Amino acid sequence: MKTIRLLFFIIMLVLMPVVFYMALVWVPPAMGLGEASRILYFHVPVAWSSVLAFIMSGYYSIRYLSGNDRRHELFAYNAAYMGLVYSVLTVITGSIWAHISWNMYWNWDPRETSAVILLLIYVAYFSLYSSLQNRETRGRISAVYLIIAAVVMPFFVFIIPRIYMSLHPDVVFNTAKKSGLELSMKITLIASMAAFTMLYFFILGLMNRTSVLKKIVEEKQNDD
Amino acid sequence: MENRIIKNLRKDFLVEFRNRSAVNISFAFAGITTLSVSLATGGIRLQPDIQSIILWIIVFFSGMSGLAHIFIREEEEKTSLFLSLHSTPEEIYISKLIFNIAFFLVICFAVTPLFVFFLQALPVHLIFFILTVAAGSIAIASVSTILGAIVSKAGNSGTLFTVIAFPLMLPVLWISIGLTTSCFDPSVQPDCRGLLFLLAFSGVIISASYLSFRFVWTE
Repeated sequence: MKTIRLLFFIIMLVLMPVVFYMALVWVPPAMGLGEASRILYFHVPVAWSSVLAFIMSGYYSIRYLSGNDRRHELFAYNAAYMGLVYSVLTVITGSIWAHISWNMYWNWDPRETSAVILLLIYVAYFSLYSSLQNRETRGRISAVYLIIAAVVMPFFVFIIPRIYMSLHPDVVFNTAKKSGLELSMKITLIASMAAFTMLYFFILGLMNRTSVLKKIVEEKQNDD
Repeated sequence: MENRIIKNLRKDFLVEFRNRSAVNISFAFAGITTLSVSLATGGIRLQPDIQSIILWIIVFFSGMSGLAHIFIREEEEKTSLFLSLHSTPEEIYISKLIFNIAFFLVICFAVTPLFVFFLQALPVHLIFFILTVAAGSIAIASVSTILGAIVSKAGNSGTLFTVIAFPLMLPVLWISIGLTTSCFDPSVQPDCRGLLFLLAFSGVIISASYLSFRFVWTE
């Protein structure tokens, strides 16, 4: 396990600077949008990670409810915590992009609204989590909320932006299932998505290990 | 199973019929808000999008004030333990869901004509409008049922319910407002995809809630 973690860390350590070089230097700017278009290589991976956090928190919640292992409750909390941070970053990078493209930071485009809904669900989860005093009830009820949130997430991330007309560009695939990106842009975007996904799992892994250690210390203190 | 669900439903309707607290609060809220908006606009005919936004805001907050009540009452009156002895969590969930859907459909179909009358908001596509109100109400009732159960166990009713329900109901409101706008606007043809969205959303929520309700209800 230690070797896998080390290997994962080394790959990420190499890939991240490469992605930064590709995104900021190697890839040409998008036609008509100039250098500002480079934010795409950070905005899309961050948005993807916030969705990934939903899936992970839902997964850990199902594991918690099926096995009643308290570690999974903590892991679900950590996944949601990361999701909150990534959602905030998605909204910030998205509004910077909107200001550059449409000359306004916010215009309630369907994709912008979806990002805000994700953010609000995470905020609601933490409100619910903090309002539950009993540890066991808190674990069960907050896990159910995360599962329901994960189940309805595809509706507002993938379906609503396709029902309503959106000004947001189809960065990966449009409705004709074709990518509008050049090959170099595609490679950079895929590399960036891979690097940010690895970063997400790396930070999540660290948080999970810290939570387990904290739990062990707490249990020992209680025993003493 | 069906027998116990019907018994639970009868009990809920009977209790609601006796004290009528949830119905009264929801009706009073919807009526007062509709009259206030009508008074504030002074009889001016509003744009279709404004009309549909106001309608769904009224519907949403009417639901907020009444839908969580069905579970909170069980906790407040300390009857949840007896209910657990009588029925399985799945039976309890189904009966409460049916009650909430019926309750909210009644509220919506009472509030909507009031709204149409006072705000002179005559729908051009009447059948589609009725279907939109019904599908939107079912979606809101489906979300509220499981969240009402969560909030009743959290012991912190009013504010928490709105906080946790709002993000999950936002897609429903968003789609319903869009559909209702197209019902009021003669130049727009209503889109069936929105209706399908609302029904699919309700189906997914009900399935997930049915499977996870046991963990919320059982101590």
